[in-house]
Amino acid sequence: MRKGLDALYRLSGGLAAFFIVAIVVVVVVQVGLNLTDKILIATGTGALGLTIPSYAELTGYFLAASTFLALAYTLRGGGHIRVTLAIQFLPPPLRRGIEALALATAAAMTGFAAWHMVLYVHDSFSYGDMSSGMLAVPIWIPQTPLALGLTILTVALVDDLVQVLLGRAPSFEGKDESLLSE
Amino acid sequence: MMSIFLLSGILLALLFLMLGLGLWVAFSLMGLGVAAMMLGTSAPLGTVLATTIWGNSNSWALAALPLFIWMGEILFRSRLSEDMFTGLAPWMERLPGRLLHVNIFGSGIFAAVSGSSAATAATIGKLSIPELKRRGYPERMMIGTLAGSATLGLLIPPSIILIVYGAATEQSIARLFIAGVLPGILLIALFVGYVAIWGLMNGDKLPQADERLPLGEKLRRSRRLIPIVGLIAGVIGSIYAGIASPTDAAAVGVALALLLSWGSGSLTRQTFTEGLMSATMTSCMIAFILAGAAFLTVAMGFTGIPAMLAEWIGGMNLSPYALLAALTVFFVIMGCFLDGISVVVLTTSVIMPMVEKAGIDTMWFGIFVVIVVEMSQITPPVGFNLFVLQSLTGRNILTVARAAFPFFLLMLLALALIVMFPGIVTWLPSKM
Amino acid sequence: QAQSWEMPTPYPDANFHTVNDRAFAADVAKATGGKLEIKIHSAGSLFKHPEIPRAVRSGQVQVGEFLLSILNNDNPVFGADSMPFLATSYADAAKLWKAQKPVVEKLLEKQGMMVLYSVPWPPQGLYTKKPIKSVKDLAGLKFRSYNATLDTFARLAGASPTQVEVPDIPQAFTTGRVEAMITSPSTGVNTKAWDYVSYYTDIRAWLPKNIVVANKRAFDHLPKAEQAAVLKAAAEAQARGWKMSEQETVTQTKALKEHGMHVEKPSPELEAGLKKIGAEMLANWKKKAGASGAELLKAYNQ
Ligand code: NA
Ligand code: NA
Repeated sequence: MRKGLDALYRLSGGLAAFFIVAIVVVVVVQVGLNLTDKILIATGTGALGLTIPSYAELTGYFLAASTFLALAYTLRGGGHIRVTLAIQFLPPPLRRGIEALALATAAAMTGFAAWHMVLYVHDSFSYGDMSSGMLAVPIWIPQTPLALGLTILTVALVDDLVQVLLGRAPSFEGKDESLLSE
Repeated sequence: MMSIFLLSGILLALLFLMLGLGLWVAFSLMGLGVAAMMLGTSAPLGTVLATTIWGNSNSWALAALPLFIWMGEILFRSRLSEDMFTGLAPWMERLPGRLLHVNIFGSGIFAAVSGSSAATAATIGKLSIPELKRRGYPERMMIGTLAGSATLGLLIPPSIILIVYGAATEQSIARLFIAGVLPGILLIALFVGYVAIWGLMNGDKLPQADERLPLGEKLRRSRRLIPIVGLIAGVIGSIYAGIASPTDAAAVGVALALLLSWGSGSLTRQTFTEGLMSATMTSCMIAFILAGAAFLTVAMGFTGIPAMLAEWIGGMNLSPYALLAALTVFFVIMGCFLDGISVVVLTTSVIMPMVEKAGIDTMWFGIFVVIVVEMSQITPPVGFNLFVLQSLTGRNILTVARAAFPFFLLMLLALALIVMFPGIVTWLPSKM
Repeated sequence: QAQSWEMPTPYPDANFHTVNDRAFAADVAKATGGKLEIKIHSAGSLFKHPEIPRAVRSGQVQVGEFLLSILNNDNPVFGADSMPFLATSYADAAKLWKAQKPVVEKLLEKQGMMVLYSVPWPPQGLYTKKPIKSVKDLAGLKFRSYNATLDTFARLAGASPTQVEVPDIPQAFTTGRVEAMITSPSTGVNTKAWDYVSYYTDIRAWLPKNIVVANKRAFDHLPKAEQAAVLKAAAEAQARGWKMSEQETVTQTKALKEHGMHVEKPSPELEAGLKKIGAEMLANWKKKAGASGAELLKAYNQ
């Protein structure tokens, strides 16, 4: 169970990183094509006029996919920001209670958002909604990673909630080390 | 009107409660949006949440964010950032405040390719914080200069907020961009001046100066700047050569950074993966908060609170100067709790007619708005530069906000200056 | 009991479409004695453009405005008014809308939406740095394209389609990333086209339309009298909007001229070349649009 869950978080984190690489690749190829045309025109050969269709829309989809697939991985890596000013000086039992409350609240919100995102994707699918750019993409495809990412985040939050209730430290504790830590 | 104040009060209390209990910022904003929708409208909450999350997360303009952050991570893991400081250090010896100015000039230069203040803070901060810390610069000034000058990303073209303002008020974005240049330089001058004066008065808090080097040695060390100058030239050059849009330029930056770090031998499988995963996390953190802020914006649009508060100001029939003062207070207060761009989006419909009626130039007002939005990036509890710097430094947002406060005041001074000398804004565009 | 409808539109307050929407909202408020208030959220401040049709469909808002042809990929019938050189005058555009409307209504009804009114943008013209006397002059130019129709158009004209987002247009022209675009005189004036191009050729390529739709369920829930008031105000908004659009064409074309742009009528040679491209594109469109497309064209050509 533990191993399976950890693999799930790592896998979705890896996918998220893959989408950032994909943005770079798509844009660099497009810029390369622009540069080729520029050189061809300057040498009098005439442009190729090649473009990656809807590359701006595609990079937008990749960004959304990356953001949401990275949610759980970022949570466990201590990457999401919160204000711990008020709770850090509380006695440990009280602090653990508040930690559990925050996790439960976040899990409830993400669960709600994930559920409605699934419904939203289903809606796009059943109406056959398409993107409006040069490339006609069925819009449920780029929407699916959002539903997936929110669902995995819900799992990760419940996972940590269970850990805290069992009296263990949550996954992100002590991970917000930074450039100024000694 | 009373019910609006009551609703606002409930929501504020809720925000502080959620943040105080250690709920993550993105969830606090989202939760606030949920509460506002439940109390203030009958629109279907879940569907609006899904629509907003999707609509605001798939954004071409935002795609530059992870790329710039990744570029910073690559440079951080190569020797390039160290080289940059070693090359610059001999030239900064005589300027009081010395290498602290790198944060200001670095942000100013980076602002010329990045339209966002969070991307500027994340990228420059990743490079400068470890170097400044290693050299023994005081933490507070380090964080403050960075938080303050990263906001230049919004004023110096290109700028996301000027695009939003230009589209909402049907103005030439090109002219708004040009109008932002001199005020941008003014802010840089104010920041540099402040750091220099601080440096003169607090010489003991700065690390020992290195010995004065002869010119030849200075130039020899400056050779280490060549790669980073090449990177900057490549990124800006790709835009002006007409082969890349400003967003494309971010990808060019990543490609060049990878190339440089490979050339210097610091690119390994491990540094590549570490840099990429770290960029993925930082970008996810910022984009998720932006999604939460976007939902809160839509919720505010449904409840109509910001627009009604702005209307209330309009109803006071103020003189132009009084109106500007009132709007500054309004934007600063709203900017503490909402993302600055959201405030602009939600209130232009109400505010622009007032501004036009008062005879205020709408292009000038755009720059005024940008500076106020810049200020909102460093006011707690909701300020994007504060979040980025908390993430980079591990210092909590109140500590970061305190360090940034002098720069908040300097921006307020810049506002006063452009009110007294509107030519700072309007002169350059009038030459077009 | 008074109730309020939310109405998102992608366009800013000063735009004539938004001005017309506000007049529509005022008419509805007046006719219902304030019982139905329509709140307009301009400049995409509530929902972004692509999300607006879906927000109306799912009842997140009760009314919404969008560019009809953004649904072109859902069904080519929605993009009929953006077919180059099919309808190039206001009279033809009105005829085309009459033919398009029943098909559009049927398609939107399946998604629980009803058409309130539809208003065209001014006819689309050609913006370039150099004068364009024939289609040959377009050959090799980097041509701004943002959808499949324009992409095909650029290729048939021998130009290279280039993707440039709206805020980047001035800089893209200045740096040579783009050299020609087709858009309305309104957009030209708003982006101060004279800052970056010198020639405006009034080719009247097509008159794209905005459409204002209501959520059918929300409409059915209104009392009969209020339903009638909405429909009456919508009919008036439609008539008023078309007049405003014609006026906009005159004013904005004049503004382009006043700022020193060369505003030119297309040469007969250019016109003939463009018509030929238009005919070729229409043939392709017919294949994609199937039976409902054929029905539409038949009604239009009567
Ligand atoms: Na900038
Ligand atoms: Na703030």
